[in-house]
Amino acid sequence: MSQPLDPMAAAHVSEVAVSVELQTPGMTINIGPQHPSTHGVLRLVAELDGERIVNVEPVIGYMHRGYEKLSEVRTYPQINALVNRIDWVSGFSNEIPFMVAVERLMEIEVPERAQYIRLILTELVRISNHLVFLSSYPLELGASTPLMHALREREHVLELIEGVTGGRFHPNFNRIGGVKPAAGGGSTQKKLAQDLPKGFLAETRAAMDRVFGICDDLDTLVMGNEIFHARTKGVAIVPPDLALEYGVSGPNLRGSGVAFDLRKHENYLPYDKFDFDVAVGENGDCFDRYYVRHEEVRQAARIVNQAIDDIPTGPLQAKVPRVIKVPKGETYVRAENPKGEMGYYVVSDGGRIPYRLKIRSASFSNLSILPWALKGLLVPDIIALLGSLDFVLGDVDR
Amino acid sequence: MRSGISVTTSPPDDSTPAVEASATASATASATASATAELAARMAELAGADSWSAEFGNAKVRVDRARWVEAVTAVRDGAGLAFFSFLSAIDWSNEVAVGEPLDETVEERYEILVRLSSGKTNDSVTLSTDLPKDDARLPTISGVFGGANWHEREAAEMFGIEFEGHPNLNKLYLTDEFEGHPLRKSYPLLSREVKPWPGMVDVEDMPSTENPEAEAVPSPQSPVPSEESDTGAAEGDES
Repeated sequence: MSQPLDPMAAAHVSEVAVSVELQTPGMTINIGPQHPSTHGVLRLVAELDGERIVNVEPVIGYMHRGYEKLSEVRTYPQINALVNRIDWVSGFSNEIPFMVAVERLMEIEVPERAQYIRLILTELVRISNHLVFLSSYPLELGASTPLMHALREREHVLELIEGVTGGRFHPNFNRIGGVKPAAGGGSTQKKLAQDLPKGFLAETRAAMDRVFGICDDLDTLVMGNEIFHARTKGVAIVPPDLALEYGVSGPNLRGSGVAFDLRKHENYLPYDKFDFDVAVGENGDCFDRYYVRHEEVRQAARIVNQAIDDIPTGPLQAKVPRVIKVPKGETYVRAENPKGEMGYYVVSDGGRIPYRLKIRSASFSNLSILPWALKGLLVPDIIALLGSLDFVLGDVDR
Repeated sequence: MRSGISVTTSPPDDSTPAVEASATASATASATASATAELAARMAELAGADSWSAEFGNAKVRVDRARWVEAVTAVRDGAGLAFFSFLSAIDWSNEVAVGEPLDETVEERYEILVRLSSGKTNDSVTLSTDLPKDDARLPTISGVFGGANWHEREAAEMFGIEFEGHPNLNKLYLTDEFEGHPLRKSYPLLSREVKPWPGMVDVEDMPSTENPEAEAVPSPQSPVPSEESDTGAAEGDES
C-alpha cells in the first residue's frame, strides 16, 4: 500500500517547478481593433505578465468623425441630425441636451406636452439601450440565451419609438422649441389630438408590462446565475472617488456607490413630476454595474407608465422664428443619458451656426478609467470590464 | 436681451441686474439665475479669480493662467466639486477658414474650459483661462484630476496647446503622421473647400404657406418680417 501523496506538498513542488521553468519575459499583446468584445473598433495594447495585466493602453480614434468641426459649418437644426449619431444605441437621447441648450440660449419655453413626449421617448430609449446591455453582456461572458429574450422585448419598444418618430435608431425627432409634429401629419397638422399615433398609450402600457416581465426573467436567468456571479463579483472594482475623478458617469458611477442621477438634479426635462428610485451599487464591481442598469430598466418603465397616465394636452411646438438665430452667449447643458452624462457646451455669436460646440460624451470619460481599472486583473477580466462599462465607440470618438 | 449677469470685479452689490435682464423669463428662471450667480461668485472667491459670469445657467469663472492648477485644486477641495466633466478649448479668432466669422472683433486667444461638478448636488462650474496664440502653454491638471489626461491629449492635438508636465501627450484620435490642429479656426474643412455645403440653401426662408404656425415672432402683422432682410438670401429668394 503506497503512501498517499500530500496534495499541499505536491502543489508546492509543482509551483516551484513552474516558476523555474517558465521564466518568461513580459508579453505585449494586441487586442482589436476588430475584436468582437471591443464593441466596435477599439484597440487595446496590453502588457502581460503571464495571465496578469501589467498595463493597458487603449488606442481610440477609429470612429472619429469630427462632429465638433462639422458642427461649425452647420445650422443649429442641421446639427440635430448629426448629434443623434454619436451614440447610436440611444440616438434620441443625444438630441435632448443639445436642444435644451439651444432653447436656453434662445429663451424658448417648450410646451409641456412636447416635454412629456421627449421624456417618454428618452425613457423608452433608455430601456432599449439597457436591454441591449443586459443581454449582450451575459453573451460576452458565455450565456447566449438572455440575448434572445431581451431583444425580443426590445423590438416592441423600438416599434413604439418608430411609431412616433418614424425612425428606430436615428429619429431626429426634436425640433428647437418642441418636437416634430406627428409622422404623416406634417407641419400643417392642426389636430393636436393626432400628434401621437393612435393607440400609442395603450400599446406603451402593454410594452411596459412586457419590460417588467423580461426584468423578472433576467433576474433568474442572469442575476441569480452562479457562473455570472463568479465572473463579475469582485471583478474590476472602481472606487467611488476614482470614478468621480475620471468623470465616470451614469450607471457606472452609481455602480460604484455614488447616488448621483442628473434626472434628480437638473431640470432639462420634467422628471421632478415623477416618482422613481435611483439604483445604487455597493462595491463598484462588474456585477454592481449590471445590477444598476437592470434596476434602471424597471424604474424607466415606471416613469413611462406615470408619464402616459398624465400627459397633458397642448401644442407640440413653441413659436420660433423661421430662421433660427441663437443670441450671443454660451451655456452648458447636460443630461442623464443611458451611457452617462452627455452634455453640450454651445458657444454662439448670434448667428445661424454655432461658433464652437463642445460635445461631452459619456463613453469617452467612462473608458478613460480603463488603464487604471485593468491593472493587475486577469486577461479574461478585460472582457468582463469592457462589457460592464457599456460604451459605444461612436460615443467615445465622436 | 441677455439673461443672467456678468461682472468683472468682485461679487455684485445686489442681484437686481439679474432680475432686470431676464424680465421676460418666469420667476423660477430668475431664481435659478440668481442661484447660478451666487454659485459663480462663491467659486470665484475660492479660485482667487477676479471675474465671473452667470449667463444662461452657466456659472463661469475666469482665472489667471498662472493660477490655473491652484484654482482647479481649490475648487475641487473647497467646494467639493470632485466630478471632472470635461476639458476643452475655444479658438477665439477673427479670421476663420470654416464657419461664419464673429460679428465683433475679439482678442486673439485660446480659451481653455474645464467643467467641474459635484457628485451630490447640481453645483457645476466652468473654469476658464486665456492663452495667447503665440504662447499656447498651460500646466497640466492631470495630476489633480486623472480624467483630464485624455481630455488634455485631445485639446493638444486639436488645438495645438502644450500641456506642461503631462505624462503622455501624444495623439489620441489622430494618426501620428497627422499634421495640423483640426479644431483651430484657421484649419480648413477639406470637403468644404472642394464643394460648398449644399445644406445652406435649405435654411433660406421658405414661402410662407409652407409653415404657417412657425411664423416669425417679432413682427407677425407685417407681411414681410423685418428680419428676413439680413438672412443673406443669396441663392433662394422667395418670389
